[in-house]
This record gives sequence, structure tokens and C-alpha cells, in this order.
Amino acid sequence: MIIRIWGTRGSYPVARAEMLRYGGNTTCVEVRVGEICVILDAGTGLRPLGEALGREANPPNTIHLLITHTHWDHIIGFPFFAPIFNPHNRIEIYGLQRTQSSLRTTIANALSDPLMPISLEDLRADMNFHEIHDGVRLDIEGRVRISTAQANHPYRALAYRIESDEAALVFIPDTGPFHTILFGDERVAWTGRPVPNTEEELATLADMRAKVIALAHRADWMIYDSQFTDEQYARFPHWGHSTPGQAREIAEAAGVKHLLLFHHDPHHTDAQIDAMLAAQHALPSSNLKISAAFEGMELRKGFAL
Amino acid sequence: MKLQFWGVRGYVPTPGAEYLHYGGNTCCTALMGANGELVVIDTGTGFCQFGDALVGREFGRGGGEMTLLISHTYWDHILGLPFPALVHIPGNRLHIYGPDSTRGSLQMVYDGMLSPVYSPVYGLAHIGATHSFQPISTTPFMVGGLRISAMPLSQRKHSPIWAYRVEEGSRSVVYITDVRYTNDLIWQQALHFADRASILVHSAPYTRHEQVQDYGHSRVEDAIELAQKAGAEQLMLFHHAPTRTDAQLHAIVKHYRDRLVTQGSGLLLDAAREGEEIEV
Repeated sequence: MIIRIWGTRGSYPVARAEMLRYGGNTTCVEVRVGEICVILDAGTGLRPLGEALGREANPPNTIHLLITHTHWDHIIGFPFFAPIFNPHNRIEIYGLQRTQSSLRTTIANALSDPLMPISLEDLRADMNFHEIHDGVRLDIEGRVRISTAQANHPYRALAYRIESDEAALVFIPDTGPFHTILFGDERVAWTGRPVPNTEEELATLADMRAKVIALAHRADWMIYDSQFTDEQYARFPHWGHSTPGQAREIAEAAGVKHLLLFHHDPHHTDAQIDAMLAAQHALPSSNLKISAAFEGMELRKGFAL
Repeated sequence: MKLQFWGVRGYVPTPGAEYLHYGGNTCCTALMGANGELVVIDTGTGFCQFGDALVGREFGRGGGEMTLLISHTYWDHILGLPFPALVHIPGNRLHIYGPDSTRGSLQMVYDGMLSPVYSPVYGLAHIGATHSFQPISTTPFMVGGLRISAMPLSQRKHSPIWAYRVEEGSRSVVYITDVRYTNDLIWQQALHFADRASILVHSAPYTRHEQVQDYGHSRVEDAIELAQKAGAEQLMLFHHAPTRTDAQLHAIVKHYRDRLVTQGSGLLLDAAREGEEIEV
């Protein structure tokens, strides 16, 4: 399994000199297992990824695009992904099923007038939309297994596990911790102090946390929302993001080998992300390896051609 | 009047070392009048940084006021709106002008862009600042001492794209984006609208030599010809293509400046750069 990280930023892309090292593109991760190409999220990192695929001698004709949720920072790269305009390609798009709007309609509306000048019909690739839930298991050509859980994020989001015979990656770019606030379809109003959860809400949060930990069980890598400092989390718990400490807590509970801090805050400079990572490294050591994901990062495990 | 470029990239933001000089944020141009008037044209991701820069001023205390002029509602012209803190601070006032679309009013388009499927804001109702939306028309209006006029400049099946002209005394900035001069009528309208502009800000993502599929953009050569024929003093090319590196933009500016010199033209030419401030 080869993993390449094309976008690490959360909320919106940032184009500043002091953020170049971790990168300013929004979330996009490429996973290759043999000839199988899986892409996680369609943030602005998807545009340079599409260009890189175009430079390959034998680029994949089938691309499995897994979308955690359709907030702008996770789909903004989609119309700038060159392979969607190639009639020889097949794009299998996976995302949450919702009662309010189909995945296809959500993408189609974003692309078309008055928000964009194109329509799904303009895309030359064969586009197939798959609406999925948390708790599903999918199989790609018997070589890649995909499973899902629900993340704790406004309007809900998916968490993915991508597993081959060689390795397992877990991708949870957007989630709050599993206490204080239970996110669902309704907006959470924040008055500056937490509203005590009902017994039922606490049980739902505990169940969500258990399922996320099960999803991440002994994964080789876990890419996880670490947008906030502790101080930011205290002020903005209703945005549905975590801190490095909260990410670490889940990683340790799941027995993950390598945690990658991700969905960097658009205000955090390289130096600030360095400091957030260093604070984790300063804690008493466990077997968990912790890095901060950066644009251009590559991870490998197992035999690769 | 001061002009500040906060986002000059077209289509999609381009973080990266090769774009740092001209900048990777999408369209956002600010104009500041002599009496503190603040007019912003388009709210691409450049608006996020602009908003951060304003928080130290009255906008941080909920006492700020700005007028937003929206050319059209493609992603690269609107997606930055909800992110700056000032938008969520009660007391700040945003007066938003722009065209209604074929699929609903400007307000409906913004509300849809902020709906929960696309945004954690959950709709315009949850924007903390006081905000109003008004459909733009060709009737000029004043923002303090700034005179604003507007004109639709497209004849496509899609929603209209508007050009803006902001004047203070005898000085003027004209902003034209996402326009393709497919017929003489549009060309004549643009020529009239840009007449003797102090600064013409014009989208020009490609040159005439490039074979690209585009969705209705003018070329560098069109923008130069328009500026010359309209008698503009200075042309600022913007809405740079996402593949356009700093080195390419340097080369383009040099090439076309040399041509202007050869022609004996007095037109000042440059590529708009994020962070640049010009005294109009």
C-alpha cells in the first residue's frame, strides 16, 4: 500500500509562505494498492493529484473516490480533477446517503449554474454515485476492503478504513471528540457553555466512539482531525473538530501504530503545527508514533511495483 | 482611493511555492475611500485573509461596515464569505449587491452555498453580522463619497456576470471579470464602461496562443486592446489560471510590456499580485 498526501488543510485552502511546509491545499489523500487507486476526499489537493496521474505512464482508468462529507473544503477540487474529463475513465464516487439530497444532486448542484458553469453531463468520464452509510463493508476487486463508521461532525460525516493484505489506513479528517456535543443533522447552537447531555445522547456518543475505535483497531496509519489547540477547542466545540490530544486518545485506545495529525487549521503556521506536534512528543512515550501530515508526504508498507 | 488585491487567482485556490509571488487565493479586491468607505468586489478565498486583517479594527468590536459587490456567484468569487470572524460578529454591517441568478435571487444562492450539506454554518440566518442583499442594477449609487455603477457583460445561457466601476472624484477603478467578447455589442459596452478608467482590473487567465478549454474568458490580448481603446491609464491583469506560475506571469508581463513600448503606448501594464496596494 502506498499513501500520498495531497492536501492537509481544513476549512479553506491557504496560500501563504509560512504555511508551505505542511501545505495549504484542503483534504485529499491518494491510496494505491497495486493497480487499484482510491482517493479520499476531493479538496483542492485533488487538482495537483489529477495532474500527477496524467504524468504516469499507465494511469489508472478506474478511480474510487471516497467522500467523507460534502462541506466545501472536501469537494472544492472536484471540477479541477482532469480525469473526470477523460472518456476512458470511470469514477466511482462514494458518500453518505441523506434523505434531504442525493449525493449526485449535491455534486450536480455545486457544479452547475449559478455556482459553476458545468453540469454532470459535461463530464466525459463514466461517473457512478454510490450512497453508503456508516457500518458498511465494501470490496474492490478482492484486494481492497473498505469499511465505514460515523464521525461526530455537523450534519454527520463518514470515517473510512481502507485495508489491503499489507496494511490498513484509517481516515477521519473531521470529527469532534465523543463528549460534550453530539452532532447530527440539526445545527448545534453554542452559547459559550456546554448543555448537559441526556442519558440517550451520552449512550449514542459512547457507541459512536466505540465504533470509531473498532474501525481504527490496530491500523498502521490513522489520519485524524487535529485542527484545534486546546484553547480553540474550548471556544469552538460546536464546529466539530478535535485537538491532537483527543486524536491521540482515540489512537491509543485503538492500538493504532502511527497517528497523523490532519485537517490543519487555516490560521496555523508551520511553526505552530510544529509546536502542536512537539507537545505530543513531549508527553510520556507510548508505542504510538505521531507525525503531522504534510503535503507531499508518502507512506508505504508491503511490496509495491 | 486605495485599491488592495487580496485574491487574484481564478477558478480554484493554488497554494504552493510556485504561486507565492502573485498569490494563490481566489478573487477579492478591496477599495478604500478617502473617508474610510470600504467596498469589496467578490469574496473568493482572498476574503478570508482580508477579514483577518480587519479584525484589529472596528470590525473586531462589531462596529464595522462594508459594501460587497458580487460580479457573479461561481465558487472562485463567493466561497470565502463565511470564514472571517467579522462575518460572525454581531453589529458589523454587510451590504451585499450582486445579480440574481437564473435559479433564484443572490440571497438564495448564498443561502444555498451555506446550507448544511455544504457548510457547517447552516444557512445565512446564522451569519452573526447584519447583512442585506440587494439585486444590482445599472442605476449608479453612492457609498459615502464613492460612486458605484454596474453593468451586465455577458450574453450566455448562464446567469449574468456584472462589471463594476467605482469612482472617487476624477479617479476610477473598473473591474471586469469572466467575460468573453463574443460579439461587438459586448465589446462596445465594455469599451464604454471602461472609458478612461484610472485602473482597469480585467480577468485574463490565458493568452491567445494557448489552446485551452475555457468557459467564457477573455485573453490577455483582449484586455490590453480594451484598455488601450478605452483610454485607461493602467491595466491590472487578474484571475490568473491555476496552472500559471510566478515565472510564467513574470514572462507574460515582460513580453506584453515590451510590445507596448514598441507600439509607443503609454498604458501601464502589470499582473495583479496578492497583498499589493495601489493609490488610485
